[in-house]
Amino acid sequence: MGIAMAWPPRDEPSETVRGKGRYVVGRSARLGIFSSLLAVAVGLVVFVSMAYLRSEPPTLDFAAGHSQGQAVDMTLQTVGAIGFGTHPSWVSYLTQAPDGKWVHTTLWDLPANTRVNVTIDQYDSGSALRNPQVGAVYGTLGNAATLNGKPFSLIDATKGNGVGHTFSIPTLGINVPLYGVNGNAKNFCNSAPCTLSEAHNTVEFSFMTPKTTGQYGWQCFVPCGGGYVYGNGGPMQTISFMDGFLKVVS
Amino acid sequence: MAISMHESVGLGRPGETPPSGADRRRSPWLGQHIGTALVGAVAGYALGHFIGNSIASGYANVQLNRQNNVATVLALTLGVVGWLLGVGALNYPILKLVGKEPAPEIEEKGWGRYFRFTLDHKVVGMQYIIGVLLFLFTGGLLAMAVRTELLSPTTHYFGPGTYISLVSEHGTVMMMMATSIITGPIAGWLIPLMIGSRRMAFPRVEAFSFWMFTAGYLVIMTALPYGGFPTGWTGYAPLQTQAVGGMDSYLVGFAVVGTGMITAGFNIIVTIINYRAPGMTWSRLPIFIWSLLAVASLLALATPTLVTGGLFGILDRTAQTAFYVNERGGSAFLWQNLFWFFGHPEVYIMALPGFGVVGEILPVFTGKPLFGYRVGAAGMIGVALLSFFVWQHHLFQSGINPDMRPLFMLTTELISIPTGFIYLTGMGTLWKSKIRFEVPMLFALALYFNFLLGGISGVFLSDVPVNVTVHGSFFVMAHFHYTIMGGLVFAFFGGLYYWLPKMTGKTLNKKLSLIHFWMMFIFFNCTFFPLFIVGLLGQPRRVFEYAQRLQGLNDFSTISAYMLASSFLVFTANFAWSIFIDPKPAPANPWGSRGLEWQSPTPVPFHNFDRIPVIYADPYHYGEVDAPDIADFDKVWATAGAGASSGGAGGGGGGFGAGTTIEGGPSDV
Repeated sequence: MGIAMAWPPRDEPSETVRGKGRYVVGRSARLGIFSSLLAVAVGLVVFVSMAYLRSEPPTLDFAAGHSQGQAVDMTLQTVGAIGFGTHPSWVSYLTQAPDGKWVHTTLWDLPANTRVNVTIDQYDSGSALRNPQVGAVYGTLGNAATLNGKPFSLIDATKGNGVGHTFSIPTLGINVPLYGVNGNAKNFCNSAPCTLSEAHNTVEFSFMTPKTTGQYGWQCFVPCGGGYVYGNGGPMQTISFMDGFLKVVS
Repeated sequence: MAISMHESVGLGRPGETPPSGADRRRSPWLGQHIGTALVGAVAGYALGHFIGNSIASGYANVQLNRQNNVATVLALTLGVVGWLLGVGALNYPILKLVGKEPAPEIEEKGWGRYFRFTLDHKVVGMQYIIGVLLFLFTGGLLAMAVRTELLSPTTHYFGPGTYISLVSEHGTVMMMMATSIITGPIAGWLIPLMIGSRRMAFPRVEAFSFWMFTAGYLVIMTALPYGGFPTGWTGYAPLQTQAVGGMDSYLVGFAVVGTGMITAGFNIIVTIINYRAPGMTWSRLPIFIWSLLAVASLLALATPTLVTGGLFGILDRTAQTAFYVNERGGSAFLWQNLFWFFGHPEVYIMALPGFGVVGEILPVFTGKPLFGYRVGAAGMIGVALLSFFVWQHHLFQSGINPDMRPLFMLTTELISIPTGFIYLTGMGTLWKSKIRFEVPMLFALALYFNFLLGGISGVFLSDVPVNVTVHGSFFVMAHFHYTIMGGLVFAFFGGLYYWLPKMTGKTLNKKLSLIHFWMMFIFFNCTFFPLFIVGLLGQPRRVFEYAQRLQGLNDFSTISAYMLASSFLVFTANFAWSIFIDPKPAPANPWGSRGLEWQSPTPVPFHNFDRIPVIYADPYHYGEVDAPDIADFDKVWATAGAGASSGGAGGGGGGFGAGTTIEGGPSDV
């Protein structure tokens, strides 16, 4: 027997219809179950979004109470191993808060169009550079910086202790190399925060924040992620370690 | 063409009643199910971590960076094994290995079967539907996060590392989903019904591919807690080699999903070749089945390259090999080649089933036979073949030998010819037809509109000068969203609206369905068309900062994306309300389809057909006064000679082989 096809469409119900009697629970209960599942899903999304994806290190506020024309002073340090947290062996920057405490963050609120005087105490050892360009100072006020009180414009990384890290803000065209310390020094700092009695180099420079508010990324350009191929993994890709943001506010 | 094969157990020949299977209803809490799978996954994960830490915690690089990739990879791998063991996916091979006979195939009833390892292709199909929707909505949420970040070029909602992780996770989840969105749920549910078979060739393999797919979801979801991965969905070395632990999730996840894809591909090929009912000749095969045959060939042949490439990456990150590390004698280009040797066929793995689906929908709602059926089928096979010869166009900017560029530009442009065949099959069917604008048809028409934009921009992209100009920009991103989302995802929803009445026996609310369609169509275009423009104006992909002047277009795209996401909420509400909360019975054949799948009762019996049908004609004789019958469902066959068998669903075949006597004679076939 062949099956003759109907055209136009048939609209008789299925041979077996799954009606209401098939369900153990009633419609209201089913609605309740689905509403609950939806609420759980929404809650999960909000939790993941707010508690995890948007979690970030604290932002230090250097703009509060700032008056126009006044410079902002900021002190940072770089360490070879942070010594605490989930990645104790990672290299890192730390920032000194206005109250003098060292904070593991690379996020700062800074006032727009303001001179920022930066002091970086560099406690990490250095190496030769793959790209000698990042051994040069540029983009700072007067394209100048001092190393342990002496002006310099370029570090030849093939000599001495080499370059440990850089402080670079690509969108503002700023780069400052940080001369490394002797890795065999007896008073080499092994965990943060380091103190001035330990081996270090002090680099000082100033730059102007832009007039336009917004977030400006900064980072280290020396591949210093030890244990990673090419050295660009881990701390190099992680905020609060080797990159961060200037949050320029009005 | 007839392929004579020996009889397979449990399938039956035309006219034979199905093998008796136990019909039982188990408590949903007894035995193995998704709950035991989760327990197994957690146990395997913990064991893997323990072993990995025991092996590698003393390695120099692990000491230095405190990132133990060996532990991560072993934890994820053993987690997947635990998941499979827990759900019972490995019971059969294990019992066979120890010399015991596995339990017979049984028909399970009740909602608990949807949470188990089951051999019923229809249940696996429904599991897949929920699975791909979970992938789709997760990827969609990630897309919303990405678009939210792009609301402003200077004020950031996420950090740059989080942003690229979200982009990468979104891309990978969506690619995994898109590979299976039709070949898993719709094809898994329909292939046996469309070719007149009682089951897939390898039911356990089909179920295995689904549980691998879900395991892949869990694995890729671990990427974010592991710190994400910065490579986008393409996973390029050297970023891959130096990324944090989320990269392990990417590599293991793709290997897991890829293994499921390979097994699914072989299963589909074997089923289509060997399990066709008698009379289901190649020229009577539904166009959707042709598309699946082409896709399954790609799944089986291209995906092993991805899995192997991923394994190399895992070895680089764990055993310190150097497949992709230039400084140690490897080559980062190797990954690009391996990845795209899979990746470009993957594009057609995603595109072809969509055209197969709309190829089924168009004749029904135009009331016309499918135009150029053979040309369309040839086009699908042509696209599948050519797709292996174009992958290097993804490397135009990667420093390949410039002399190779014209060759791959040519092969890429050539592929537009068979693609054009497929497209024209649809246009020819629409030509001078009286269209019924039902919801599935609207989705089918939308596919042709969207794919036209996606396809034409693809032809431009294949040209080296344009490629060099817009490489890595939002233009490329808009192009592939138009082809994959505008094509495949629209086809998926068209197919879902078309076949859900058959799959569930219930009717979706038409008003909500129409709202879903129009919102999705309008806001899809509003979301992605501006991205062609911002791409041409220079906005790069995967970067969370962009030029201030592009903010207006980006904001328009983002707000449209929110509306696009809302359309999926409408679908979800419709699906939940119409299928679970307040179901209304569907007519047996609401669209008046001639397709074989619509001729079985609803719900479809465990063995699909009481008697294996004998196929008389292809399913596209719409609008013909003297249209032949499609099939005979009651014909009783008698085979000549003991053990001789051919042509049956069990013998695989399509034709009528020698040694077979057909009651009534073949003349009326």
